[in-house]
This record gives sequence, C-alpha cells and structure tokens, in this order.
Amino acid sequence: MKPFAALVRKVVHESRGTLLLTAAALFGLGWLSVYITSRNESQILKAIASGELGERLEWLRRLGIGTAPTSVELMMAFWNHPFFVTLVAIWGISRGSAAVSAEIERGTMDLLLSRPVSRTAYLLAQVLVAVLGLCVLGAALAVGAILGVHYNTLRVPPGAWELIRVSANLAALALPIYGYTLLISTVDHVRWRPTWIGSTLTLAGFIGHVITGFPVFAESWWKPWVDRVSIFSAYDPVELVTKAQSFGPHVGILAGVGGACVVLGFILFARRDLPANG
Amino acid sequence: MDDGVLIRTRKLTKAYSEVRALESLDLEIRRGEVFGLLGPNGSGKTTTIRLLLGLLRPTSGDAAVAGFDCWRESLQVRRRTSYLQGELRLYGSMRAFEVLELLSDLRDGLGLDRAIAIADRVMKLDLRRRVRTYSTGMKQKLALAQVFSDPAEILILDEPTSALDPSARGLVMELVSEAKRQGQTVVFSGHVLAEVEQVSDRVAIMRKGRLMHVEDMHARRGLRMLLIKYRSDGPVTIPGELGLIERKREGEAFLYEHQGELPALLGWLASAPVEDLAIGTEDLRSLYDRYHGPAVDDEEQPS
Repeated sequence: MKPFAALVRKVVHESRGTLLLTAAALFGLGWLSVYITSRNESQILKAIASGELGERLEWLRRLGIGTAPTSVELMMAFWNHPFFVTLVAIWGISRGSAAVSAEIERGTMDLLLSRPVSRTAYLLAQVLVAVLGLCVLGAALAVGAILGVHYNTLRVPPGAWELIRVSANLAALALPIYGYTLLISTVDHVRWRPTWIGSTLTLAGFIGHVITGFPVFAESWWKPWVDRVSIFSAYDPVELVTKAQSFGPHVGILAGVGGACVVLGFILFARRDLPANG
Repeated sequence: MDDGVLIRTRKLTKAYSEVRALESLDLEIRRGEVFGLLGPNGSGKTTTIRLLLGLLRPTSGDAAVAGFDCWRESLQVRRRTSYLQGELRLYGSMRAFEVLELLSDLRDGLGLDRAIAIADRVMKLDLRRRVRTYSTGMKQKLALAQVFSDPAEILILDEPTSALDPSARGLVMELVSEAKRQGQTVVFSGHVLAEVEQVSDRVAIMRKGRLMHVEDMHARRGLRMLLIKYRSDGPVTIPGELGLIERKREGEAFLYEHQGELPALLGWLASAPVEDLAIGTEDLRSLYDRYHGPAVDDEEQPS
C-alpha cells in the first residue's frame, strides 16, 4: 500500500495548485449565481409575466425556462454559463494530459516505473486523484451555492440536495473530458498534443451543443446526431431541477464514456514502450 | 536460475520499424559479478537495459532476470533491481530529501536511512534544497545515493559517472566495489573505459545493436604484453610451453602476448639475444578499438 500512497501523494503535490484555483473559482461562481438571481429575480419574473421578454432574456427561453420559473430554475440558467464548464474542463484536460505523456516528456517516468510499481498502480493513482479532484470541485460549487442561499434572499430558496445534484452532474461532465484526454496521453510522449486534442474535442462538443439550441436548427436532420454525440447534452441544470430523474441517466452516460476511455487507456499504457530520455 | 546466471537474454531483439536497435542478443550475467557494457551511442546498451527493466517490449526473443520474464513479470524483475538512468531527470519542485523519500516509499520505504546517510555524509549534499537548484552532477549524486542504498540484488547503472567530478567518480567506483563485496550484481554501462576496466569482472562490447565480444577482465589482467628487440636479425626460437604468442612486428621489435608462468619467461629472456625489452599490460582501449577503431569494417562479425 505504501508505494501506491506515495504515488497518490506525488500526484496531489503536483495538482494541488490547479485544484485549489478551480475549486475557489467554482465556489465563487456558486455564490455569485445566487447573488445575481436574488438581485434580478423580481425584474426577470416581471418581464416574463408581461410577455415582454426582450432579446436580452430570450436565451432564458432556450434554456427551458417556462412562464413561471422558480428561483432555482433561474439560478440554474446561470450554471449553463461557459465559465462553469470551462473550469471543470480545465481540471479534466490538465489531469488527463499530465497522466502519462507529461511524465514521459519531463523524463521522470523512468524514475517511477523502474521501481517496483506496476503501470496499473501508477495510472490508478492518477485516475484516483483526478476523480477525487472532481468531487472537490463539485463540492466547492455546491458549498458556494448553499452558503449563497443562506446569506442571500431568494423567493423560493432551493434545497441543498437540488444544488448538490446539479454540482455532481457538472463534475461528472469532466469525466469524459478527462477520459479522452487521458486516452491520448497514454499513447503519447509530449503533453501539448493530448492537451490540444482534448481541448479541441471539448470545444467542438460545446459548440455543437450550443448550435443545436438555436431555434433555426430545431428541425435540422443533423440536430439529433449532434445532440447524441456531444457530451454537453448530458448536462442540463434547468432540466435537472425540474426533472430530478434525469440525473441518473446523465451521470451514467458521462461516467460510462469517461470510464470506457480510462479502461482503454489502461490497456494501451500497459502494452506500450516507454521511450528513453534525451 | 541455479547455474549462477542471474540475467539471461536469448535472441533478444528490439526493432523500431526499419531500425533494429538491438539484434539477437544472447547474454548471460552471473550472480555477484560486475558486468560492463561498452559501446558508442546507439550501440544498444540503453535499449538492452530498458528491455531488462520491462520499459520496452521485445520485438522477438526474451530476457529473464532471476528467472522472471522481463516483460511479462517486470514487477518481479524491478523488485530485484535498482536503476540509474543515463539521462537523469528528477522532480525539480521537490526538496532533495522528498525525492529520496518518494523513491524509497515506492520500494515500501526500504533504504531511506542509508540513502540519506550516503547523500548527506558521503556525497555532501544539502537535502533541504529544492532539486531545481542542484547542478547536474549534484542530481546524479542524489540518484546514486538512492541506487546504492536500495536493497536490490542487481544494480543497473547507465553511465553513472557522466556528470561527476573526478573525486565523485572515484567514490562511485568504491561504491560499485562495495556493492560487489555485499554480493550484489552490477550492470555498468559507460564511456570511460578506465572506469569500466577498473571495476568490471567481464565486459561486453556492443556495436550497432549487436554484441561483438565478451571479455573476461580477470584473464585480461593476467595478460602481459612484451615488446622485444633482438640483437640479431636471425630467427629466434621461442619454446611453445612458454605461452608467448607473437601479435605483430613493430619496426625492429616484436610485440608478444604472454599468459603463463613468469619465472619460465624470465629464465628464457635471460638467455635470449634480447637488446631491449618493455613489459606492460594491454588496456581496454586496444580491445575496444578492435571493434570501434577508425579502421573497423562495419560488417565485421562478432567474435
């Protein structure tokens, strides 16, 4: 157990800066989403009720906000902001690319794997820290929002479990991002390539998801296909607070895609050559 | 492996598409010996070491350490080996003692006290400093402290003195000798022939991924080279039982190789028409140059 614990400590040591920064940012965003909702809730509701939902608020409709939204539905509209997704994606991509190729690029893989440590144990330590990190990020967002609810006034304050559920869904969104970046990292020897490919895939998925939300493409033949392919279809905070049962399938899909990539990564890493430094 | 052989390779080959980094290597390294690997860059030394450690997968053939297959059972192999990389990289953001602690923990916490003692008292390193503030030589000393404190049967040192000053090099040679006294097997790759010659029991010379020659250094140390200039130009008869073998003629003198009883040789020399005489040993350089000298044919076959 000592070698595995040492590997985990090493990965935590390397990733703690990114984790602290992203967790702090998500905590702040969680709080901020409550604060903004509490300050603007009555105005938004008035605009919706009067039927004069200007262009400025049109995007709320596209996110599934109905004619009589609750406070938490309005709040969750903010949780669709790219900032939220970007923060968990940063963690997923940075940990995925760091797992193997960064260690090879730095020349320290030999140092570890010439010791009596299996490749499986090495990668398992990486995955464990990445997943625990995601739990920390989800918790930071939930705690920020829960404290925000406690210190700000909302018309109908949401329950803590509602906020925790959506935070967990957001954290789970990073699983496939981490998975496919790690998969590329296990067969590469430089960090920039998995980072670049992981970022491109994530951005493409996000753009695809945004485009399918435009009314003009509502009847397009390709819309269902893009919806199916984009992982962002499995993160819908507004839907999650109105239909709690979508949590399981969404998180299941995200964890399934991420898990499959990680398993494939384990197989490829166990079979590959580790190049010499220099 | 109960025949005294600890490391054995059979037809071990590593190819990268068209390039054959190692070609059909058959090698046996005995328990408790110091085995030197010699050859220029690209000769296959590091590839051999990485195949032994299971960091590379053989294209064909196999390698075993203490009876364990180096690829399929590499964890068992690495339990028995400690390795110093040729192109050493350490974690710059860690303090030196943290690096020793990490590497020791990866071996269940074994050898940490000894590693700290060697690094602190023998290598004179400040273990509180961050590794990025160390010079290349200091980093190598730190890694050496770890390797020599590992309770491993086999030490694999890939160019262990490449970044060291002369006094540290001497220290490494002492540590290698001490490891041998403790019964450890040492595989030593390097470019400094004098160092390899000093500590090795046997030496393998490699070229372009092929094993060219294995030399027993003990036999070699008993070898004398004699350069004799005779008084007369006429033929000199040398008794066969003397063990004197003519190697070549150098101007008016003759170069001989001798591996036999010294009194008999001295007795014959006293009666022979010798005008001038020089006795010495042949260093590893001349053996090495047979396979890597400027006049060597690239297609020369292994001996």
